[in-house]
Amino acid sequence: MQNKTLRYFVVVTLLIFFKVATAQEKPELQISRIDSALTQNANAVVRSEEVIVEINSINSVTTKTKRIVTVLNKDGKGYADSYEPYSSSVKIKKIEATVYDAKGNEIKKYKKKDFNDISAYDEFSLMNDNRVKYFEYTPLGYPYTLVYESEVETTSTAFIEPWIPILTYRLSVEKSSFKILNPTSISIRLKETNFDGFSIESNKIGQEVSYSISNVSAKVKEAYSPSFYDLVPVAKVALDEFSLEGVEGAATDWKSFGKWQFDELLSGRDELPEETIKKVSELVATAKTNKEKAKLIYQYVQDKTRYVSVQLGIGGWMPFLASDVDRLGYGDCKALTNYTKALLDSQDIPSYYAVVYGDRNKRDIDSEFASMQGNHVILNIPEEDEDLWLECTSQTMPFNFIGDFTDNRNVLIVTPEGGKIKKTKKYEPEENILKTTANVNLKIDKSMTADIERVSEGLEYSWNSGIQFETTKDQKLEYKEFWGYINALAINEIKLNDDKDVIKFTENIKVSSPSYTKKVGSRLLVTPNLFGCDQSNLPKYENRKTSMVISRGYVNTDEYIINLPKGYTFKSLPQKKSIETEFGQYMYELEEITESQIKFKRFLKIIDGTFPKEKYEEYRKFRSDIKKIDQTKIVLNQL
Amino acid sequence: MNNFNKLIVSLVLLVSVNNFAQEYKFGKVSKEELLETSYPTDSSANAAVLYENKKIYYDYNQSYGFRLITEVYKRVKFYNQKGFENASEEVFLYKSGGSKEEVSSLKGVTYSLIDNKIVQTKLKKEGVFEDEYSENRNQLKFTMPSLTEGSIVEFKYKIISPFIYNIDKIYLQQKIPIKKLEVKVAMPEYFNFKKNMTGYLPIDLKDSRGSGKIAFNTKSGAGRYGGVNTVSRNEIDYTININTITASNVPAFKVEPYCGNSDNYLSSIVYELQFERYPNRPIKHYSTTWEAVAKSIFNHPKFGGELKKNNYFKEEVDQIIGKTSDPTRRTALLYNFVKNKMTWNRKYGSITRDGVKKAYKEGVGNSAEINIMLISMLDYAGVDVKPVLVSSIRRTISLFPTLEGFDYVVARVKLDKNILYLDATDKYGEPNVLPDRVIHGSGRVIAENGTSQLVNFRPNKVSRIHHSISCQLSKEGTIKGKQSTNRSSYLAHNFRTKHGVKENEDQVKRIQKTYELENIGSYELNGVKDIGKAVSERFEFNIDDGIEVIDDEMFFSPLLFLRSGENIFKSDEREYPVDFGYGYSRSVMLNIKIPEGYEIVEAPKGSAFKLPENMGNFVYRSSVIGDSIQISVTETLSTPFVPANYYPVLKQFYDQIVQKEGEQVVLKKV
Repeated sequence: MQNKTLRYFVVVTLLIFFKVATAQEKPELQISRIDSALTQNANAVVRSEEVIVEINSINSVTTKTKRIVTVLNKDGKGYADSYEPYSSSVKIKKIEATVYDAKGNEIKKYKKKDFNDISAYDEFSLMNDNRVKYFEYTPLGYPYTLVYESEVETTSTAFIEPWIPILTYRLSVEKSSFKILNPTSISIRLKETNFDGFSIESNKIGQEVSYSISNVSAKVKEAYSPSFYDLVPVAKVALDEFSLEGVEGAATDWKSFGKWQFDELLSGRDELPEETIKKVSELVATAKTNKEKAKLIYQYVQDKTRYVSVQLGIGGWMPFLASDVDRLGYGDCKALTNYTKALLDSQDIPSYYAVVYGDRNKRDIDSEFASMQGNHVILNIPEEDEDLWLECTSQTMPFNFIGDFTDNRNVLIVTPEGGKIKKTKKYEPEENILKTTANVNLKIDKSMTADIERVSEGLEYSWNSGIQFETTKDQKLEYKEFWGYINALAINEIKLNDDKDVIKFTENIKVSSPSYTKKVGSRLLVTPNLFGCDQSNLPKYENRKTSMVISRGYVNTDEYIINLPKGYTFKSLPQKKSIETEFGQYMYELEEITESQIKFKRFLKIIDGTFPKEKYEEYRKFRSDIKKIDQTKIVLNQL
Repeated sequence: MNNFNKLIVSLVLLVSVNNFAQEYKFGKVSKEELLETSYPTDSSANAAVLYENKKIYYDYNQSYGFRLITEVYKRVKFYNQKGFENASEEVFLYKSGGSKEEVSSLKGVTYSLIDNKIVQTKLKKEGVFEDEYSENRNQLKFTMPSLTEGSIVEFKYKIISPFIYNIDKIYLQQKIPIKKLEVKVAMPEYFNFKKNMTGYLPIDLKDSRGSGKIAFNTKSGAGRYGGVNTVSRNEIDYTININTITASNVPAFKVEPYCGNSDNYLSSIVYELQFERYPNRPIKHYSTTWEAVAKSIFNHPKFGGELKKNNYFKEEVDQIIGKTSDPTRRTALLYNFVKNKMTWNRKYGSITRDGVKKAYKEGVGNSAEINIMLISMLDYAGVDVKPVLVSSIRRTISLFPTLEGFDYVVARVKLDKNILYLDATDKYGEPNVLPDRVIHGSGRVIAENGTSQLVNFRPNKVSRIHHSISCQLSKEGTIKGKQSTNRSSYLAHNFRTKHGVKENEDQVKRIQKTYELENIGSYELNGVKDIGKAVSERFEFNIDDGIEVIDDEMFFSPLLFLRSGENIFKSDEREYPVDFGYGYSRSVMLNIKIPEGYEIVEAPKGSAFKLPENMGNFVYRSSVIGDSIQISVTETLSTPFVPANYYPVLKQFYDQIVQKEGEQVVLKKV
């Protein structure tokens, strides 16, 4: 197109706010009334939120919510996408929403019938019976304000909505309050966490509790920060007498809560067909110890079953019968754990159902507050000298290996005598080993070929062994991405060996590149660290707010024999370099073997831990120094 | 003919013949099949469909007339546990008004080899779930019981549909390989369907004929006069047109980067009703030719009907165009008016949902509402404008005349000899700079008289990004410099869409992250809001460790942090085209001043290479002027759409670029 024509189209975009209706005006919603401290770093502002929880009886709790949120930009839209989940035990009695523009003029109103109603898919369940009502609003411009009101009654009083006034990053809160009304004789328990550092007013009169907070500015996520819920105030609430999908219970601590879970949700669901018991007895007949037997049984379960999640009614909390799993060959985490437990029981090996938060970001079951918690179940076998942990939903994990999904955190052990809190296995840095060795040949034509061996143990096993399940094409792509800094890398051969007995994963990979070394005049430039270059890129913070958490440690070692191109040698090799910090150690070394052969050695150990926020910059510097040393080049001259 | 159109033609011509040996019958799973430990032609497959049979046909009953029946029979093999995710089947069942699709005769069996014996486990009710998925769809899911490594499952079911005009898309390729596939579509002569095929695999389709009978009873005699009714049985013979598709060893489908909508390359066949012809009744056309498609959409109340409305905007539009008479100006005024006034609700559609009036009133609409509004306004203002029906990135491109293939609308304006495509749903859009969802698709401009023409939105001109750096090296090996970057056309649009609303602070963070630069200062961003102009960025930088100092020499890549470090293409081969959407030209100019007391020992030499058929080229120039090195690099990809057979050279082109840009400058202490 000619420029002359285009000229007319060059206009500054004015996002004009067309006034649509003049129905109602609420000056108090005007955006100009928000304190600038609350708009900084924020995508949305909670102008006010009032939640009233009324405890009507052991099987009825009503939650009334009125929330006013001003959305400042498109990233904040999600904070005002109000939706209300419901199911057979949760009824929505009232739901409505009104949208106002920046000046406080009403734009649009949504009544209950205007809300969409869909099945609540959780992405991993084959089927569940939860549904969601939500509404769709296309913002005409920003900012805008949403006033949302709902009233929901639940018959499952085992869950009482906690108070979490600051729900997420980049959300500031002008005012938020929470009130529990409890005219019943049922006692309530409360647990307040992270209230320090926030100005929270709380009032407790008899069975009534209220909290309020105001003027909290938005938080911004930082790398290596603690989990969000460790940074914001949370008040958990539980009833001493409660109901779960029609199953009533009473508990005040983990012992009694666990007892209830055992009696009402687990007990009697472990019967197995005689035939299966016989088969298993034969299977373990020659095994000597309980541990050996358990290993055979775990293998049996892995071969026979697969994970399929079906969450319907109380089935969301109660495992399928062990006999059903035996027959169908599938189940969810509860069902498969219960089944494994039943098989172990049949051989007189005691084991316990363990409720956990399964997530790579560690989250504990709160040891001090008994309530419905967790999202996953694993199996605990208490041996005399150690606790064994089984992840029963995996067909591929080695025995007594739980990886980073449930490691090192508090779980609830459900026993016939009651519940107790235990900590799952922690994988120490020294256990998480990745050892890379390579034999490298460099040629005069700049090309490189190498035979690489990577051996992974501990958590490195769980981080690296997944590649065996991919197609050859994807495996090649994954290695090419991993060593993306090597141009035109070809993956010529892949041999993988998964030794589940010793929990060791070995990768033998043959690679080549037509142009690894760089030619400068008659000389060649080589980066001897071919396969272990640190690729982290940590952001710098002028004013870091949160402490630094390294959640898991590890040890990576590299050792390569590098055969130099024929007719080339080096004048000198760089000095050995090592860095020692409280976060770990690093060492880089090049050794002369002959004038045409050198050895490259690298060692990196990272130690897990929580460090004060001031330490982050030191850690960042540590990693960036490593990165620089990793890329050290040497010059090769012609002989 | 450009590459894109060539591809479309070649897809239609691919036909080949395959022969089969093995017979598949429900219940007859062999021990050999159970013993098989890997898929013969793809050892990395975790599971494979050994056999799939789909029969689609009509049955007739006097009480309900024709019904569409789909029978599915599948045999799936699991080589290992990772393949078990293919053990669940999901069927969506459409419902509308009082009618709905239903599943019947569901039967499933799992076969496993245990102690050298075949053990069968039946699928029971407990493994079958039905759910209301959305307003218009129910969902049926089932999962097969008792799987072990090596197991085979078989299942079959029937979908009975009262929606006789809608044959669901038939997939001829899946995420896992298919050993043998047989599809039979049998259509009574009364319904005439068009076939629309996609994919890079040859499709073997055979036509044949069969016959059917419609039996019905008629009453004669006239009850009114007290006579006796006689019921007579009548039969009508009719012809059935049968399509049989067979395929064997269909490879697993894999999504590749830069491919637009990968569904365009997945083997499939879509049937669309063209016309209905019952005996002794006039033919009822649905769509046949482009002319018919164009006419039928102009007659559609939610398209043509909406285009004709203009009362709702007259007043405002009269005010906006005022005394301007120049059509270019009028176009600009109205396009900007609609773009600013309307917000797209992210809904696609070639027809309106709530209608243009309501959309106009509320300021929100789907793609049809917003662009039909724009087209009517331009038409009202006397501008030469036509609607363009679009198959967006979400829709498989339609090769045959069909309405179903379209899900979006844009406007085409003719101003003298210039043609402008306008999409007012995109706040950052400009004439002929369309959002990704449109450029990766294709369009058809239509006129009320039925004429129409295929439109390829991929621009002929490349979009440019130009970087210029001027910097100074110190004796300590640090670098201090200034950079400016200019982006135009699609690259500017892309920048605005992704980063347009961010604060400068976040822009700086983005630069720190992409270039791995710690110290950035004096950041400036211009032109983001001046849509139609270039976007420019400027900043200053300091690098402490960008240079390798070895003994008394310094080594560095003169492109510094702008060098291409990785090839964007990593796959060794590719089955279908690379679709960039738009061509680009990236140029870099650098002026590097070396520190005092150093001399240049080595500097990369100039070089140039190109892709065949002028699809792209790369030029590297370097010169030394006094104590400065000057580098200029231009990388151009002029073709947005590169056919798969050029993939190896394209990959090599980028390999060469990475290699060239990695070449080093060597400085030595004097």
